[in-house]
Amino acid sequence: MSTTGSSAQAANAETDAAGPKGSAVVPVRARLGRLFAAPIMIWLALTIALPLGYCIWISLTNANTMGGTPRFVGLANYVTVLTDGTVGGPFLRSLAWAIGGAIIQTLLAAGAALLLNRRFAGQHIARTWIMASWVVPTIVTAFLWRWMLNADFGVVNHVLQSLGLIGRPIDFLGDPDFAFITVTLVNAWRWFPFMTLLILAALTRVAPEYYEAARVEGATSWQVFTRVTLPFIQPVLYVVGLLGTLWSINVFDIIWLTTKGGPLDMTETMPVAIYERAFQQFRLGEASAMSVSLALFLLVFAYCFIRFVPRGATEQEVI
Amino acid sequence: MAARPLAAPVMRNLLTLLMLLVIGLPFIWMILSSFQPTSVLINPRELFRPDAFTLENYARLPSEANFLLILRNSLVVALASTAIAIPLALLAAYSVYRTRYRGRQTVYLLLLVVYVFPGILLLAPLFKLFSMSGVLNTWLSLIIMNVTFSAPFSVWLMRGFFTSIPHGIEEAAAIDGATDMQILRRIIVPLTAPGIVVTGTYTFVYSWTEFLFASVFLIDDSLKTLPIGLEGLVTQYSIDWGLLSAAAVMTALPVVALFAFAGRYFVEGVTAGASK
Repeated sequence: MSTTGSSAQAANAETDAAGPKGSAVVPVRARLGRLFAAPIMIWLALTIALPLGYCIWISLTNANTMGGTPRFVGLANYVTVLTDGTVGGPFLRSLAWAIGGAIIQTLLAAGAALLLNRRFAGQHIARTWIMASWVVPTIVTAFLWRWMLNADFGVVNHVLQSLGLIGRPIDFLGDPDFAFITVTLVNAWRWFPFMTLLILAALTRVAPEYYEAARVEGATSWQVFTRVTLPFIQPVLYVVGLLGTLWSINVFDIIWLTTKGGPLDMTETMPVAIYERAFQQFRLGEASAMSVSLALFLLVFAYCFIRFVPRGATEQEVI
Repeated sequence: MAARPLAAPVMRNLLTLLMLLVIGLPFIWMILSSFQPTSVLINPRELFRPDAFTLENYARLPSEANFLLILRNSLVVALASTAIAIPLALLAAYSVYRTRYRGRQTVYLLLLVVYVFPGILLLAPLFKLFSMSGVLNTWLSLIIMNVTFSAPFSVWLMRGFFTSIPHGIEEAAAIDGATDMQILRRIIVPLTAPGIVVTGTYTFVYSWTEFLFASVFLIDDSLKTLPIGLEGLVTQYSIDWGLLSAAAVMTALPVVALFAFAGRYFVEGVTAGASK
């Protein structure tokens, strides 16, 4: 009974334990806690930490997909990928993709969350309905948009032409001028519902009394938004921005399935470039060097972001 | 400003409707297309012909896309992943939300890192590791990675259910003489049943959708899952849009059906999860 013997003081302390960091932790069922955390930690050690370490090792060898004994080559792969001029493009595109995507998705999600936070008939159905584009497999999303945006017989071109908005059909996914923005929007369409859900979670936490007080004071809708709603959801907007950026940088499937990184490499972001180098050019060492570099960049980015954001905001939302 | 009190709600309702249409119309279009012969679909001057309604695309799925086999493969992978992820996530969630010990914050932080971990980073090393251990080209390789990437996020999704149970309920039960295992079985598990639904839904959807690992780890056609099978249809020299629409509808259907049933718990779970 040692784990449950800590009694009521511990239960009270529980609420405080999350607060001040570094102060002594009052153990509550500590043995059980460690025991229950063990399976997932072992699982992640084997499936993330181990391959991660192995990835760093591969990046220092001349390994390829074909087999053969890899030879240690030091930092040669890093020198190759960083100097052969093939990584700059994908890197910049990844940045544009992630930042553009995060802005579009956060704005769409914030708007959608505000709309869905009202009480109206069918609000539960509406909340579930908008999750559809997130639930459906990426391959279906990719097919759907390739089909609707098709230059020859897609419904979007058909409608735009009959409305007289465009003279001739636009090859949204095949035209180098349009492909990048099109895939960015398709990806936003897929992901913004999930961001909406996260923001909605923060909105439901705003006590109705705040709104009532604001109304009594005669605040306009805009004032209510900027003085009450926004301060409440600001922390979660930061988190959504951070998560959205990091998730976007990792996105591979929607790009690969709509454009394969084309046309003219216009949509070739870092994950696409890594995939091609590893499984089309079979140069695992170089692909791993690119992966490790990307991971380091993400780490630095996340660190700066968390430092930049008001202290406590991210922890409060995520933890 | 006199019109404002009336105009604003109307505006908001219109915007809400627009948003629902932006999400829904593409799917409705896909479903309509799946009931049209390819000859109509690829005719630039015809968008849709009600009189050409046909079930032919669906009828061709089993023979031309080997659809039943890949459907079964996807089901096996998704169910197995879910079966492993639920207990893992459940135990971890209990550990993180209902206990206190040194190192708990670190456990939580590590779970968080996995949410944003780039899967592409693991692709090359896992390919090598799996090929050395004979796991490559088996469903096990996918199941392992589906659990890795869905279980940590499931822990977070269950936060609301675990933190909403009053503190001290375990203590009260313990005073009544219940053992740790009895407390879990009789109190926590029933109380977190919606959390199990949420985890199950998330893992199932994740597994059903997963493309990156499936595209590299599975080599035999007979093992391939739906996303890979569909991609095979997409990348053919000439695309059979009718067949593909039907395949896409059938691929989306199971997760949409699951979400129609469990989605409400999912949405409420996540949104309630934030409110204390």
